[in-house]
Amino acid sequence: MSTVAILANPSSGKDIRRLVAHGSVFDNQEKVRMVRRLILGLERSGATRILYMPDGYGIVPRALNAISPSIPVEAVEMPIRNNQTDTSIAAGVMETLGAQCLVVLGGDGTSRAACKGSVAVPLLPLSTGTNNVFPLMGEATVAGLAAGLVATGRLPREDCCYRSCMFDILLDGEVVDLALVDAAVYDDVFLASRAIWQIDKVPQLFLTRCGASSIGLSAIGGQLRSIRPEEPRGLALRLGEGSPVTVTAVIAPGMFADVPVRSITEMAPGEIFCVDVSPGLIAVDGEREVEIPRGSRAAVRLNTQGPLVVDVERTMAAARENGLFVNRHNRKEPA
Amino acid sequence: MALSKKTLIHMYETMNKIRLFEQKLQEFFAAGEIPGFVHLYLGEEAVATGACAALTDKDMITSTHRGHGHLLAKGGDLKLMMAEIFGRSTGYCKGKGGSMHIADMDLGILGANGIVGGGGPLACGAALAAKYKKTKEVALCFFGDGASNQGTTQEALNMASAWKLPLVFVNENNGYGISCPQCKSMAVTDIADRAAAYDMPGVVVDGNDVLAVNEAVTEAVKRARNGEGPSLIECKTYRWRGHFEGDACTYRCTEELEAWMAKDPIPRFEAKLIESKTLSRKDAEKIKADIAKAVDEAVAFAKESPMPETSALMDDVYA
Repeated sequence: MSTVAILANPSSGKDIRRLVAHGSVFDNQEKVRMVRRLILGLERSGATRILYMPDGYGIVPRALNAISPSIPVEAVEMPIRNNQTDTSIAAGVMETLGAQCLVVLGGDGTSRAACKGSVAVPLLPLSTGTNNVFPLMGEATVAGLAAGLVATGRLPREDCCYRSCMFDILLDGEVVDLALVDAAVYDDVFLASRAIWQIDKVPQLFLTRCGASSIGLSAIGGQLRSIRPEEPRGLALRLGEGSPVTVTAVIAPGMFADVPVRSITEMAPGEIFCVDVSPGLIAVDGEREVEIPRGSRAAVRLNTQGPLVVDVERTMAAARENGLFVNRHNRKEPA
Repeated sequence: MALSKKTLIHMYETMNKIRLFEQKLQEFFAAGEIPGFVHLYLGEEAVATGACAALTDKDMITSTHRGHGHLLAKGGDLKLMMAEIFGRSTGYCKGKGGSMHIADMDLGILGANGIVGGGGPLACGAALAAKYKKTKEVALCFFGDGASNQGTTQEALNMASAWKLPLVFVNENNGYGISCPQCKSMAVTDIADRAAAYDMPGVVVDGNDVLAVNEAVTEAVKRARNGEGPSLIECKTYRWRGHFEGDACTYRCTEELEAWMAKDPIPRFEAKLIESKTLSRKDAEKIKADIAKAVDEAVAFAKESPMPETSALMDDVYA
C-alpha cells in the first residue's frame, strides 16, 4: 500500500502581512480547490490511499464534494485545536501510520510545524500564499503526481528528493524550536501579531538558504550570496546602522526595505551562533515564536538533518526519463 | 511593538475595568436590580481594549448590543454607564436607553446598537463625513460573527471599499450568533476571507491577545488615515457568558467554555507585563483594587440616582 498524507492548514495566508504589506488573502475555498486537484494527481500517480488531517473548515471533505476518487481518502483520528500544533501532531501521526509522503499546504510556518512533527517522511510543501520560500508555488495536480510517484516507489527517493538544512533554536543549551529558512533575532518582548516587518528591530539574521529571487527575510542575504537548500552551510548576518553596505530587499509582498548589513559569516553544520539579545524574541520563518526570557541565553545551530523534500521539477523530469507517462504504440517517436 | 509603558499599563487597566464592570453587572442582574437585558463582554476584553488603544479621542466607534467593553475602552464614564444600565436619570441616556443605546459623541462613541449589523452603515456615514471634511479621523466598526451575515454589514463593507473610506471593521468572532454556532450559519470559518470580495485586506488575529489586536488595528488605522481605505480584522474570541444574562447556554458544552477560559486574555497580558518588568505584581494588585473601588462607586452613584420622571417620557424624542 502506498499512502500519501495531506496536511492542509485552514489558518495559513491570513496574517497581518495583508495589512502591512500587500499579501494575498488566500481563502480556504481556494485551498479546497487545490486539494481537489492534488487528490486527482495522487490518484493518477498510482498512490493507493490518502490520509488527511481533519480541520475545522473541512478542507478535504469539501474537496471530495466535487470528485469521486477511486482510492480511499480517510481522516486520521486526532484532536483538533485549530492551531499550529494540529499540523505538528498530524505529521507525527502520519509517520506512525506509514505515510510515505506528506503533502503540506500552507506557508513557511505550516511547513515548519509539519517538520516539528516529522522530518523522516518525504515532504512536499505547497504554498498557499505569496510570502513563502520553503514551499513550492506550483500547480497542485502536478504536485500530486510527484508526491504519488515518491510514495509508490515508482521513482527512487534519491532521484526526487533532497535533504534540506534547518536551524535548531537553542535556549540555555536545549533545542526548543526549529526554523527551515530563517531565524531572526527580534529586539522586543511581545509576540503580538507574530509577523515581522520592522527590520530595524532585527540585529541578527540567520539563513539556511537564500537566492537573488528570494522574498522575505532571506531576500536580504539573497542579494549578497546564494545558498541552495541542500547545501550544508548557512549565513549569519549582523544588521544595523554604521554599516558600509545597505541591501534593498523585498521583505514581504510589495514591501521593500533598505537593510544595513554590518557583517556576514558563513555557518558550518553544528556550529553554534549566540544570540546577543536577552530578553528578546526569535522569529522563526518570519514569525515571532521563541521568547528569550531575561537572563536566558539563546543560540542558533545549522542542522543538516532537516526534512527530506520532494523536488517536483526533478521528480517529473525523472518520470519523463523513465517514460512513466508515455504510452508507446509501436509508432515512430515524435520528432 | 513600540508601545510605551504608559500605553501598556493603560491597556491593562482598561481590560480590568471591563472585567470588573461586567462582573458587577452580572451580580446585580442576577439580583433583579437591573431592568431590561444585558449582554456581557466577559472574555472578550482584549478586543475592545486593543482596538480602542489604536484610536484617538477624535476617532469614532460604532458598537453592538454587547457594547459595554467598547464604550469603556473608548473612555466611557463608569458612573454614567452604570447609571444608564440601572435605568437612572443620571445615566448617559437619562435612564431611558439602557445597556444597548449608550453613546458619547464627545468621545467618538456613536452608540451601542440593539440592531445586529446596525453599526456598519453608521460607521460608513462617520467615515464619509471624516473624508469629506478632511479631518483625518477614522471610524471603527465593531461587529459580531452574526452581524457579518447581515446585508447591512456586507453593504457597508462594499461601500467603504468602493468609496475608499477611512474605516476599520473589527469583527469579534465569538463563535455564536445568539445560540447558533458559526458552522451552522456560515460557509466560511474565517470571516476575514470575505474581505477579498471587497478588495480590502483581511486578517485574522488572536482576539484574546490584546497586543495582537492592537498591532493589527494600529496598522489598519494607519492605512485608513493615509487614505488607503478600509480593512477587515477578524478577532477570534469567546464570550464566557450566554448571549444574554439568563441564557441557559444549552447549545455549547462546558469543555468548550473551559478551554476558552484557560485562554483568559487578562492573566496572559498580566504575565507578559510582569515578565517584561513593565508592571510589578504589587502594582497589578493596586490597579485592580482601585478599579474595584471605582466600580463600587459607580454602583453607589447609580443606586442613589433617581429614576426618570414620568413627565420626561417624551423628552428627547425626535421621531
